[in-house]
Amino acid sequence: MSSHFSTAISRIRRSPYQTLAAISIMTMTLFLASVFFLVAAGSQAILRYFETRPQVNAFFKQEIVPTDNQVELLRAQLESTNMVDSVRFVSKEDALQIYKDLNKSDPLLLEAVTANMLPASIEVSAKNPNDLKKIAEFLKQQTGIDDVRFAEEVVSSLAVWTKSVRIVGIALVGAHVLITFSIILLIIGIKVANRRDEISILQLVGATRGYIQAPFVIEGILYGVGGGILAWGIAYLVLAYSMPFLVTFLAGIPILPPPILFMFKVLLGEILLGAIIGGFGGLLAVRRFLKS
Amino acid sequence: MITAQNITKRFGNVQALTELSFVVNPGEFVFLTGPSGSGKTTLIKLVMKEIVTDKGELLISGQDIKKITNKKLPEYRRQIGVVFQDFKLLQDRSVFENVSLPLEVRNIKLLDIQAAVKKALELVGLTARASLFPAQLSGGELQRVAIARAIVGRPKLLLADEPTGNLDPKTSQSIMKILKQIHEELQTTIVMATHNVDIVNHSGLRVITLVDGKLVKDNPKGKYE
Repeated sequence: MSSHFSTAISRIRRSPYQTLAAISIMTMTLFLASVFFLVAAGSQAILRYFETRPQVNAFFKQEIVPTDNQVELLRAQLESTNMVDSVRFVSKEDALQIYKDLNKSDPLLLEAVTANMLPASIEVSAKNPNDLKKIAEFLKQQTGIDDVRFAEEVVSSLAVWTKSVRIVGIALVGAHVLITFSIILLIIGIKVANRRDEISILQLVGATRGYIQAPFVIEGILYGVGGGILAWGIAYLVLAYSMPFLVTFLAGIPILPPPILFMFKVLLGEILLGAIIGGFGGLLAVRRFLKS
Repeated sequence: MITAQNITKRFGNVQALTELSFVVNPGEFVFLTGPSGSGKTTLIKLVMKEIVTDKGELLISGQDIKKITNKKLPEYRRQIGVVFQDFKLLQDRSVFENVSLPLEVRNIKLLDIQAAVKKALELVGLTARASLFPAQLSGGELQRVAIARAIVGRPKLLLADEPTGNLDPKTSQSIMKILKQIHEELQTTIVMATHNVDIVNHSGLRVITLVDGKLVKDNPKGKYE
Protein backbone atom coordinates (compact mmCIF):
# COMPACT_ATOMS: atom_id res chain seq x y z
CA MET A 1 0.00 0.00 0.00
CA SER A 2 2.77 2.43 0.94
CA SER A 3 4.57 1.68 -2.35
CA HIS A 4 1.35 2.45 -4.29
CA PHE A 5 1.02 5.68 -2.31
CA SER A 6 4.59 6.77 -3.06
CA THR A 7 4.12 5.80 -6.74
CA ALA A 8 0.99 7.98 -6.89
CA ILE A 9 2.79 10.89 -5.19
CA SER A 10 5.72 10.69 -7.60
CA ARG A 11 3.35 10.60 -10.62
CA ILE A 12 1.55 13.68 -9.28
CA ARG A 13 4.86 15.50 -8.81
CA ARG A 14 6.01 14.62 -12.31
CA SER A 15 2.97 16.22 -13.98
CA PRO A 16 2.38 19.52 -12.16
CA TYR A 17 0.10 21.06 -14.81
CA GLN A 18 -2.23 18.08 -14.96
CA THR A 19 -2.26 18.06 -11.17
CA LEU A 20 -3.10 21.77 -11.12
CA ALA A 21 -5.96 21.23 -13.58
CA ALA A 22 -7.33 18.26 -11.64
CA ILE A 23 -7.19 19.97 -8.23
CA SER A 24 -8.59 23.26 -9.62
CA ILE A 25 -11.69 21.66 -11.13
CA MET A 26 -12.15 19.53 -8.02
CA THR A 27 -11.84 22.62 -5.78
CA MET A 28 -14.33 24.57 -7.89
CA THR A 29 -16.94 21.82 -7.76
CA LEU A 30 -16.50 21.14 -4.07
CA PHE A 31 -16.58 24.87 -3.29
CA LEU A 32 -19.87 25.14 -5.16
CA ALA A 33 -21.11 22.10 -3.24
CA SER A 34 -20.10 23.69 0.07
CA VAL A 35 -21.79 26.99 -0.78
CA PHE A 36 -25.06 25.28 -1.64
CA PHE A 37 -24.79 22.98 1.33
CA LEU A 38 -24.15 25.88 3.73
CA VAL A 39 -27.01 27.93 2.24
CA ALA A 40 -29.35 24.92 2.44
CA ALA A 41 -28.23 24.11 6.01
CA GLY A 42 -28.61 27.80 6.98
CA SER A 43 -32.11 27.98 5.48
CA GLN A 44 -33.00 24.80 7.32
CA ALA A 45 -31.73 26.27 10.60
CA ILE A 46 -33.74 29.47 10.03
CA LEU A 47 -36.79 27.36 9.23
CA ARG A 48 -36.35 25.40 12.45
CA TYR A 49 -35.91 28.66 14.37
CA PHE A 50 -39.24 29.97 13.12
CA GLU A 51 -40.98 26.66 13.58
CA THR A 52 -40.01 26.64 17.26
CA ARG A 53 -41.31 30.18 17.73
CA PRO A 54 -45.10 30.10 17.59
CA GLN A 55 -45.49 33.85 17.39
CA VAL A 56 -47.98 36.31 15.91
CA ASN A 57 -47.08 39.99 15.53
CA ALA A 58 -50.01 42.41 15.27
CA PHE A 59 -49.07 45.95 14.30
CA PHE A 60 -51.29 48.90 15.29
CA LYS A 61 -52.01 51.58 12.76
CA GLN A 62 -49.07 53.97 12.71
CA GLU A 63 -51.08 56.96 13.94
CA ILE A 64 -52.49 55.08 16.92
CA VAL A 65 -50.82 55.20 20.32
CA PRO A 66 -52.62 52.44 22.26
CA THR A 67 -53.54 53.20 25.83
CA ASP A 68 -52.81 50.79 28.70
CA ASN A 69 -56.52 50.01 28.93
CA GLN A 70 -56.72 49.09 25.25
CA VAL A 71 -53.70 46.84 25.55
CA GLU A 72 -54.97 45.18 28.73
CA LEU A 73 -58.39 44.59 27.17
CA LEU A 74 -56.81 42.94 24.15
CA ARG A 75 -54.54 40.87 26.39
CA ALA A 76 -57.55 39.68 28.43
CA GLN A 77 -59.47 38.78 25.28
CA LEU A 78 -56.54 36.83 23.91
CA GLU A 79 -55.92 34.99 27.16
CA SER A 80 -59.54 34.02 27.39
CA THR A 81 -59.16 31.99 24.16
CA ASN A 82 -56.86 29.54 26.03
CA MET A 83 -54.67 29.35 22.93
CA VAL A 84 -52.18 31.94 24.09
CA ASP A 85 -48.99 31.33 25.99
CA SER A 86 -47.82 34.91 26.42
CA VAL A 87 -48.67 38.41 25.21
CA ARG A 88 -46.10 41.21 25.01
CA PHE A 89 -46.86 44.82 24.15
CA VAL A 90 -44.20 46.65 22.08
CA SER A 91 -44.71 50.39 22.29
CA LYS A 92 -43.49 52.86 19.67
CA GLU A 93 -40.48 53.59 21.93
CA ASP A 94 -39.73 49.87 22.29
CA ALA A 95 -39.96 49.53 18.50
CA LEU A 96 -37.48 52.39 18.11
CA GLN A 97 -35.10 50.69 20.54
CA ILE A 98 -35.34 47.42 18.60
CA TYR A 99 -34.73 49.34 15.38
CA LYS A 100 -31.68 51.05 16.94
CA ASP A 101 -30.26 47.72 18.10
CA LEU A 102 -30.63 46.22 14.64
CA ASN A 103 -29.07 49.21 12.86
CA LYS A 104 -26.51 50.35 15.39
CA SER A 105 -23.77 50.14 12.77
CA ASP A 106 -25.51 52.61 10.45
CA PRO A 107 -25.89 56.09 12.03
CA LEU A 108 -27.61 57.46 8.92
CA LEU A 109 -30.50 55.04 9.31
CA LEU A 110 -30.75 55.86 13.02
CA GLU A 111 -30.98 59.61 12.47
CA ALA A 112 -33.76 59.33 9.91
CA VAL A 113 -36.22 57.40 12.11
CA THR A 114 -38.23 58.55 15.14
CA ALA A 115 -40.56 56.62 17.44
CA ASN A 116 -43.61 58.19 15.79
CA MET A 117 -42.74 56.66 12.44
CA LEU A 118 -42.85 53.14 13.87
CA PRO A 119 -46.04 51.25 14.74
CA ALA A 120 -46.72 49.83 18.18
CA SER A 121 -47.40 46.12 18.17
CA ILE A 122 -48.22 43.14 20.31
CA GLU A 123 -46.34 39.83 20.13
CA VAL A 124 -48.42 36.79 20.91
CA SER A 125 -46.91 33.36 21.52
CA ALA A 126 -49.25 30.44 20.97
CA LYS A 127 -49.28 27.31 23.10
CA ASN A 128 -49.67 25.30 19.94
CA PRO A 129 -48.25 26.42 16.54
CA ASN A 130 -51.46 25.11 14.88
CA ASP A 131 -53.44 27.87 16.61
CA LEU A 132 -51.35 30.66 15.06
CA LYS A 133 -53.80 31.13 12.21
CA LYS A 134 -56.81 31.42 14.52
CA ILE A 135 -55.02 33.96 16.73
CA ALA A 136 -54.00 35.93 13.64
CA GLU A 137 -57.61 35.96 12.36
CA PHE A 138 -58.82 37.14 15.77
CA LEU A 139 -56.27 39.97 15.88
CA LYS A 140 -57.09 41.10 12.32
CA GLN A 141 -60.68 41.76 13.39
CA GLN A 142 -59.64 44.07 16.26
CA THR A 143 -60.00 47.81 15.77
CA GLY A 144 -56.80 49.77 15.38
CA ILE A 145 -54.85 46.79 14.03
CA ASP A 146 -53.23 47.48 10.68
CA ASP A 147 -51.29 44.32 9.85
CA VAL A 148 -50.89 40.87 11.33
CA ARG A 149 -47.86 38.70 10.61
CA PHE A 150 -47.30 35.27 11.96
CA ALA A 151 -44.62 32.62 11.63
CA GLU A 152 -46.67 30.41 9.33
CA GLU A 153 -46.16 32.82 6.45
CA VAL A 154 -42.43 33.02 7.12
CA VAL A 155 -42.21 29.27 7.62
CA SER A 156 -44.05 28.47 4.40
CA SER A 157 -42.02 30.91 2.31
CA LEU A 158 -38.82 29.68 3.94
CA ALA A 159 -39.83 26.09 3.23
CA VAL A 160 -40.29 26.98 -0.46
CA TRP A 161 -36.93 28.81 -0.47
CA THR A 162 -35.13 25.89 1.22
CA LYS A 163 -36.65 23.43 -1.22
CA SER A 164 -35.61 25.61 -4.17
CA VAL A 165 -32.05 25.95 -2.84
CA ARG A 166 -31.88 22.18 -2.51
CA ILE A 167 -33.18 21.52 -6.03
CA VAL A 168 -30.97 24.14 -7.68
CA GLY A 169 -28.00 23.04 -5.55
CA ILE A 170 -28.41 19.36 -6.35
CA ALA A 171 -28.82 20.07 -10.08
CA LEU A 172 -25.87 22.47 -10.30
CA VAL A 173 -23.54 20.48 -8.06
CA GLY A 174 -24.61 17.26 -9.81
CA ALA A 175 -23.72 18.75 -13.21
CA HIS A 176 -20.36 19.94 -11.87
CA VAL A 177 -19.65 16.55 -10.30
CA LEU A 178 -20.23 14.96 -13.72
CA ILE A 179 -17.94 17.49 -15.43
CA THR A 180 -15.25 17.01 -12.77
CA PHE A 181 -15.57 13.25 -13.04
CA SER A 182 -15.08 13.46 -16.82
CA ILE A 183 -12.03 15.72 -16.46
CA ILE A 184 -10.44 13.44 -13.85
CA LEU A 185 -11.20 10.51 -16.16
CA LEU A 186 -9.49 12.38 -19.00
CA ILE A 187 -6.43 13.45 -16.98
CA ILE A 188 -5.82 10.03 -15.45
CA GLY A 189 -6.70 8.46 -18.82
CA ILE A 190 -3.84 10.45 -20.40
CA LYS A 191 -1.51 9.27 -17.65
CA VAL A 192 -2.62 5.67 -18.14
CA ALA A 193 -2.01 5.96 -21.90
CA ASN A 194 1.45 7.47 -21.24
CA ARG A 195 2.23 4.47 -19.08
CA ARG A 196 0.96 1.94 -21.60
CA ASP A 197 4.36 0.20 -21.82
CA GLU A 198 4.79 0.11 -18.07
CA ILE A 199 1.36 -1.43 -17.64
CA SER A 200 2.03 -4.11 -20.24
CA ILE A 201 5.37 -4.94 -18.56
CA LEU A 202 3.64 -5.15 -15.18
CA GLN A 203 1.05 -7.51 -16.68
CA LEU A 204 3.81 -9.71 -18.14
CA VAL A 205 5.66 -9.99 -14.82
CA GLY A 206 2.46 -11.11 -13.11
CA ALA A 207 0.98 -7.95 -11.57
CA THR A 208 -2.67 -8.28 -10.62
CA ARG A 209 -5.28 -5.79 -11.86
CA GLY A 210 -5.49 -4.40 -8.34
CA TYR A 211 -1.74 -3.79 -8.24
CA ILE A 212 -1.85 -1.90 -11.55
CA GLN A 213 -5.00 0.05 -10.66
CA ALA A 214 -4.04 1.07 -7.12
CA PRO A 215 -1.65 3.99 -7.86
CA PHE A 216 -4.12 5.53 -10.35
CA VAL A 217 -6.99 5.22 -7.88
CA ILE A 218 -4.84 6.71 -5.09
CA GLU A 219 -3.84 9.53 -7.45
CA GLY A 220 -7.52 10.33 -8.06
CA ILE A 221 -8.28 10.16 -4.34
CA LEU A 222 -5.41 12.56 -3.61
CA TYR A 223 -6.80 15.05 -6.16
CA GLY A 224 -10.15 14.78 -4.38
CA VAL A 225 -8.70 15.19 -0.89
CA GLY A 226 -6.60 18.18 -2.02
CA GLY A 227 -9.59 19.77 -3.75
CA GLY A 228 -11.84 19.08 -0.74
CA ILE A 229 -9.48 20.73 1.76
CA LEU A 230 -8.94 23.75 -0.52
CA ALA A 231 -12.67 24.16 -1.22
CA TRP A 232 -13.49 23.95 2.47
CA GLY A 233 -10.80 26.50 3.32
CA ILE A 234 -12.12 28.95 0.70
CA ALA A 235 -15.74 28.41 1.82
CA TYR A 236 -14.74 28.99 5.46
CA LEU A 237 -12.88 32.19 4.55
CA VAL A 238 -15.83 33.49 2.49
CA LEU A 239 -18.20 32.68 5.36
CA ALA A 240 -15.94 34.35 7.93
CA TYR A 241 -15.60 37.43 5.69
CA SER A 242 -19.38 37.69 5.17
CA MET A 243 -20.23 36.99 8.81
CA PRO A 244 -20.83 40.66 9.92
CA PHE A 245 -23.13 41.24 6.92
CA LEU A 246 -24.98 37.94 7.43
CA VAL A 247 -25.49 38.55 11.16
CA THR A 248 -27.12 41.91 10.34
CA PHE A 249 -29.12 40.38 7.52
CA LEU A 250 -30.45 37.60 9.73
CA ALA A 251 -31.56 40.19 12.29
CA GLY A 252 -30.92 38.25 15.43
CA ILE A 253 -31.68 34.74 14.22
CA PRO A 254 -28.96 32.87 16.09
CA ILE A 255 -27.43 30.52 13.48
CA LEU A 256 -24.04 32.20 13.13
CA PRO A 257 -21.22 31.51 13.66
CA PRO A 258 -21.70 27.86 12.68
CA PRO A 259 -20.54 25.32 15.28
CA ILE A 260 -16.96 24.07 14.82
CA LEU A 261 -18.17 20.45 14.82
CA PHE A 262 -20.60 21.26 11.99
CA MET A 263 -17.83 22.84 9.89
CA PHE A 264 -15.59 19.83 10.64
CA LYS A 265 -18.35 17.54 9.35
CA VAL A 266 -18.61 19.70 6.21
CA LEU A 267 -14.84 19.27 5.72
CA LEU A 268 -15.12 15.49 6.09
CA GLY A 269 -18.05 15.45 3.67
CA GLU A 270 -16.12 17.42 1.06
CA ILE A 271 -13.04 15.23 1.41
CA LEU A 272 -15.24 12.13 1.09
CA LEU A 273 -17.09 13.46 -1.96
CA GLY A 274 -13.79 14.52 -3.60
CA ALA A 275 -12.18 11.16 -2.83
CA ILE A 276 -15.14 9.29 -4.32
CA ILE A 277 -15.14 11.39 -7.51
CA GLY A 278 -11.34 11.17 -7.89
CA GLY A 279 -10.96 7.54 -6.89
CA PHE A 280 -13.81 6.37 -9.09
CA GLY A 281 -12.52 8.49 -12.01
CA GLY A 282 -9.04 6.95 -11.63
CA LEU A 283 -10.44 3.44 -11.38
CA LEU A 284 -12.61 3.84 -14.47
CA ALA A 285 -9.73 5.35 -16.50
CA VAL A 286 -7.37 2.46 -15.80
CA ARG A 287 -10.08 -0.22 -16.12
CA ARG A 288 -11.03 1.09 -19.56
CA PHE A 289 -7.41 0.71 -20.59
CA LEU A 290 -7.00 -2.76 -19.07
CA LYS A 291 -10.16 -3.95 -20.80
CA SER A 292 -8.94 -2.75 -24.18
CA MET B 1 7.08 -28.29 -19.66
CA ILE B 2 5.45 -27.18 -22.92
CA THR B 3 3.13 -29.45 -24.91
CA ALA B 4 1.63 -28.03 -28.09
CA GLN B 5 -0.96 -30.17 -29.86
CA ASN B 6 -2.10 -29.00 -33.28
CA ILE B 7 -2.20 -25.35 -32.25
CA THR B 8 -3.52 -22.93 -34.84
CA LYS B 9 -3.68 -19.16 -34.75
CA ARG B 10 -5.05 -16.71 -37.32
CA PHE B 11 -4.94 -12.90 -37.32
CA GLY B 12 -7.71 -11.94 -39.74
CA ASN B 13 -6.62 -13.38 -43.09
CA VAL B 14 -3.10 -14.13 -41.91
CA GLN B 15 -2.41 -17.70 -40.83
CA ALA B 16 0.19 -17.20 -38.06
CA LEU B 17 0.44 -20.81 -36.87
CA THR B 18 -0.89 -23.98 -38.48
CA GLU B 19 -1.42 -27.19 -36.52
CA LEU B 20 1.82 -26.89 -34.62
CA SER B 21 2.75 -29.83 -32.37
CA PHE B 22 5.88 -30.27 -30.25
CA VAL B 23 6.99 -31.00 -26.69
CA VAL B 24 9.63 -29.16 -24.65
CA ASN B 25 10.75 -31.19 -21.66
CA PRO B 26 11.59 -29.65 -18.26
CA GLY B 27 15.20 -28.45 -18.12
CA GLU B 28 15.62 -28.28 -21.91
CA PHE B 29 17.20 -25.37 -23.82
CA VAL B 30 15.46 -25.05 -27.18
CA PHE B 31 16.02 -22.62 -30.03
CA LEU B 32 13.08 -21.46 -32.06
CA THR B 33 14.25 -20.34 -35.48
CA GLY B 34 12.74 -19.31 -38.76
CA PRO B 35 12.41 -16.23 -40.97
CA SER B 36 10.52 -13.13 -39.85
CA GLY B 37 6.79 -13.79 -39.83
CA SER B 38 7.24 -17.52 -39.32
CA GLY B 39 5.31 -17.46 -36.03
CA LYS B 40 8.05 -17.44 -33.35
CA THR B 41 6.77 -14.39 -31.49
CA THR B 42 3.16 -15.59 -31.87
CA LEU B 43 4.15 -18.83 -30.15
CA ILE B 44 5.81 -16.92 -27.28
CA LYS B 45 2.73 -14.70 -26.93
CA LEU B 46 0.54 -17.82 -26.81
CA VAL B 47 2.66 -19.29 -24.00
CA MET B 48 2.41 -15.98 -22.09
CA LYS B 49 -1.33 -16.01 -22.77
CA GLU B 50 -1.18 -12.55 -24.30
CA ILE B 51 -3.26 -14.16 -27.04
CA VAL B 52 -5.13 -17.49 -27.21
CA THR B 53 -5.11 -20.28 -29.76
CA ASP B 54 -7.96 -20.67 -32.25
CA LYS B 55 -7.59 -24.43 -32.29
CA GLY B 56 -5.50 -27.08 -30.56
CA GLU B 57 -4.22 -27.46 -27.03
CA LEU B 58 -1.30 -25.74 -25.36
CA LEU B 59 -0.26 -27.24 -22.03
CA ILE B 60 2.28 -25.62 -19.73
CA SER B 61 3.39 -27.90 -16.88
CA GLY B 62 0.35 -30.03 -17.75
CA GLN B 63 -2.04 -27.11 -17.44
CA ASP B 64 -4.24 -26.15 -20.41
CA ILE B 65 -3.62 -22.43 -20.56
CA LYS B 66 -6.96 -21.78 -22.26
CA LYS B 67 -8.55 -22.71 -18.94
CA ILE B 68 -6.56 -20.14 -16.96
CA THR B 69 -8.99 -17.42 -15.91
CA ASN B 70 -8.09 -13.72 -15.98
CA LYS B 71 -7.96 -13.82 -12.19
CA LYS B 72 -5.42 -16.66 -12.21
CA LEU B 73 -3.38 -15.19 -15.09
CA PRO B 74 -0.95 -13.12 -12.92
CA GLU B 75 -0.15 -16.19 -10.82
CA TYR B 76 0.49 -18.20 -14.02
CA ARG B 77 2.76 -15.53 -15.51
CA ARG B 78 4.85 -15.41 -12.33
CA GLN B 79 6.08 -18.91 -13.22
CA ILE B 80 7.47 -17.66 -16.53
CA GLY B 81 10.32 -15.24 -17.16
CA VAL B 82 10.40 -13.36 -20.44
CA VAL B 83 13.11 -11.41 -22.27
CA PHE B 84 12.45 -9.21 -25.29
CA GLN B 85 14.55 -7.92 -28.17
CA ASP B 86 13.78 -4.32 -27.15
CA PHE B 87 14.45 -5.04 -23.44
CA LYS B 88 11.17 -3.46 -22.22
CA LEU B 89 12.72 -1.79 -19.19
CA LEU B 90 11.14 1.08 -17.27
CA GLN B 91 13.18 4.17 -18.01
CA ASP B 92 12.26 6.01 -14.81
CA ARG B 93 13.38 3.16 -12.57
CA SER B 94 16.91 2.16 -11.63
CA VAL B 95 18.45 -1.20 -12.54
CA PHE B 96 17.65 -2.46 -9.04
CA GLU B 97 14.02 -1.29 -9.28
CA ASN B 98 13.58 -2.83 -12.74
CA VAL B 99 14.92 -6.18 -11.59
CA SER B 100 12.84 -6.13 -8.40
CA LEU B 101 9.57 -5.55 -10.33
CA PRO B 102 8.43 -9.23 -10.56
CA LEU B 103 8.95 -9.60 -6.79
CA GLU B 104 7.35 -6.26 -5.93
CA VAL B 105 4.11 -7.28 -7.64
CA ARG B 106 4.02 -10.38 -5.44
CA ASN B 107 4.18 -8.27 -2.26
CA ILE B 108 7.40 -9.93 -1.12
CA LYS B 109 9.22 -8.38 1.85
CA LEU B 110 11.82 -5.75 0.98
CA LEU B 111 14.69 -7.67 2.62
CA ASP B 112 13.89 -10.79 0.58
CA ILE B 113 13.61 -8.67 -2.57
CA GLN B 114 17.01 -7.10 -1.90
CA ALA B 115 18.63 -10.52 -1.45
CA ALA B 116 17.03 -11.98 -4.61
CA VAL B 117 17.87 -8.94 -6.76
CA LYS B 118 21.47 -9.00 -5.52
CA LYS B 119 21.80 -12.67 -6.57
CA ALA B 120 20.21 -12.03 -9.98
CA LEU B 121 22.49 -9.05 -10.64
CA GLU B 122 25.52 -11.10 -9.59
CA LEU B 123 24.50 -13.80 -12.07
CA VAL B 124 24.38 -11.33 -14.96
CA GLY B 125 27.44 -9.39 -13.72
CA LEU B 126 25.72 -6.08 -13.07
CA THR B 127 26.10 -5.66 -9.31
CA ALA B 128 28.05 -2.43 -9.79
CA ARG B 129 25.30 -0.96 -12.01
CA ALA B 130 22.40 -1.46 -9.57
CA SER B 131 21.78 2.22 -8.92
CA LEU B 132 22.05 3.36 -12.56
CA PHE B 133 19.09 4.06 -14.86
CA PRO B 134 18.51 2.37 -18.25
CA ALA B 135 19.57 5.51 -20.14
CA GLN B 136 23.02 5.17 -18.56
CA LEU B 137 23.62 1.59 -19.79
CA SER B 138 24.86 -0.01 -23.02
CA GLY B 139 22.69 -2.34 -25.13
CA GLY B 140 24.34 -5.45 -23.72
CA GLU B 141 23.90 -4.21 -20.16
CA LEU B 142 20.24 -3.42 -20.83
CA GLN B 143 19.65 -6.95 -22.02
CA ARG B 144 21.42 -8.32 -18.95
CA VAL B 145 19.11 -6.23 -16.75
CA ALA B 146 16.15 -7.70 -18.65
CA ILE B 147 17.53 -11.22 -18.09
CA ALA B 148 18.04 -10.51 -14.38
CA ARG B 149 14.42 -9.31 -14.18
CA ALA B 150 13.25 -12.47 -15.95
CA ILE B 151 15.05 -14.83 -13.57
CA VAL B 152 14.77 -12.97 -10.25
CA GLY B 153 11.55 -14.81 -9.38
CA ARG B 154 13.18 -18.18 -10.22
CA PRO B 155 10.73 -19.10 -12.98
CA LYS B 156 10.46 -22.68 -14.24
CA LEU B 157 10.37 -21.44 -17.81
CA LEU B 158 12.31 -18.62 -19.48
CA LEU B 159 11.14 -17.32 -22.86
CA ALA B 160 13.58 -15.16 -24.82
CA ASP B 161 12.25 -13.43 -27.92
CA GLU B 162 15.31 -12.59 -30.04
CA PRO B 163 17.31 -11.35 -27.04
CA THR B 164 20.40 -10.74 -29.19
CA GLY B 165 18.52 -9.11 -32.07
CA ASN B 166 19.74 -5.59 -31.24
CA LEU B 167 23.25 -6.53 -30.13
CA ASP B 168 26.67 -6.87 -31.78
CA PRO B 169 28.16 -10.41 -32.17
CA LYS B 170 30.48 -10.13 -29.16
CA THR B 171 27.74 -8.88 -26.83
CA SER B 172 25.38 -11.50 -28.24
CA GLN B 173 27.88 -14.19 -27.25
CA SER B 174 28.08 -12.80 -23.71
CA ILE B 175 24.26 -12.83 -23.44
CA MET B 176 24.23 -16.41 -24.70
CA LYS B 177 26.83 -17.33 -22.10
CA ILE B 178 24.63 -15.91 -19.34
CA LEU B 179 21.56 -17.78 -20.61
CA LYS B 180 23.53 -21.06 -20.67
CA GLN B 181 24.77 -20.36 -17.16
CA ILE B 182 21.18 -19.79 -15.98
CA HIS B 183 20.13 -23.01 -17.69
CA GLU B 184 22.87 -25.00 -15.98
CA GLU B 185 22.82 -23.38 -12.54
CA LEU B 186 19.08 -22.92 -12.08
CA GLN B 187 17.88 -25.82 -14.29
CA THR B 188 15.50 -23.37 -15.96
CA THR B 189 13.76 -24.52 -19.14
CA ILE B 190 14.65 -22.00 -21.85
CA VAL B 191 12.93 -21.37 -25.18
CA MET B 192 14.81 -18.80 -27.23
CA ALA B 193 13.60 -17.38 -30.52
CA THR B 194 16.53 -16.17 -32.59
CA HIS B 195 17.86 -15.26 -36.02
CA ASN B 196 21.46 -15.51 -34.87
CA VAL B 197 23.07 -18.19 -37.04
CA ASP B 198 26.38 -18.29 -35.10
CA ILE B 199 24.74 -18.75 -31.76
CA VAL B 200 22.49 -21.56 -32.97
CA ASN B 201 25.19 -23.35 -34.93
CA HIS B 202 27.72 -23.28 -32.07
CA SER B 203 25.32 -24.33 -29.34
CA GLY B 204 24.71 -27.96 -30.20
CA LEU B 205 21.22 -27.60 -28.75
CA ARG B 206 17.76 -28.57 -29.98
CA VAL B 207 16.40 -26.37 -32.79
CA ILE B 208 12.74 -26.09 -33.80
CA THR B 209 12.39 -24.41 -37.19
CA LEU B 210 9.20 -22.68 -38.22
CA VAL B 211 8.30 -21.48 -41.71
CA ASP B 212 4.99 -19.75 -42.46
CA GLY B 213 3.59 -20.88 -39.12
CA LYS B 214 4.38 -24.56 -39.73
CA LEU B 215 6.95 -26.69 -37.96
CA VAL B 216 9.37 -27.76 -40.69
CA LYS B 217 12.17 -29.25 -38.61
CA ASP B 218 12.74 -30.32 -34.99
CA ASN B 219 16.39 -31.36 -34.62
CA PRO B 220 17.87 -32.40 -31.21
CA LYS B 221 21.29 -31.04 -32.20
CA GLY B 222 20.28 -28.68 -34.87
CA LYS B 223 21.70 -26.07 -37.16
CA TYR B 224 20.22 -22.83 -38.42
CA GLU B 225 18.65 -23.54 -41.82
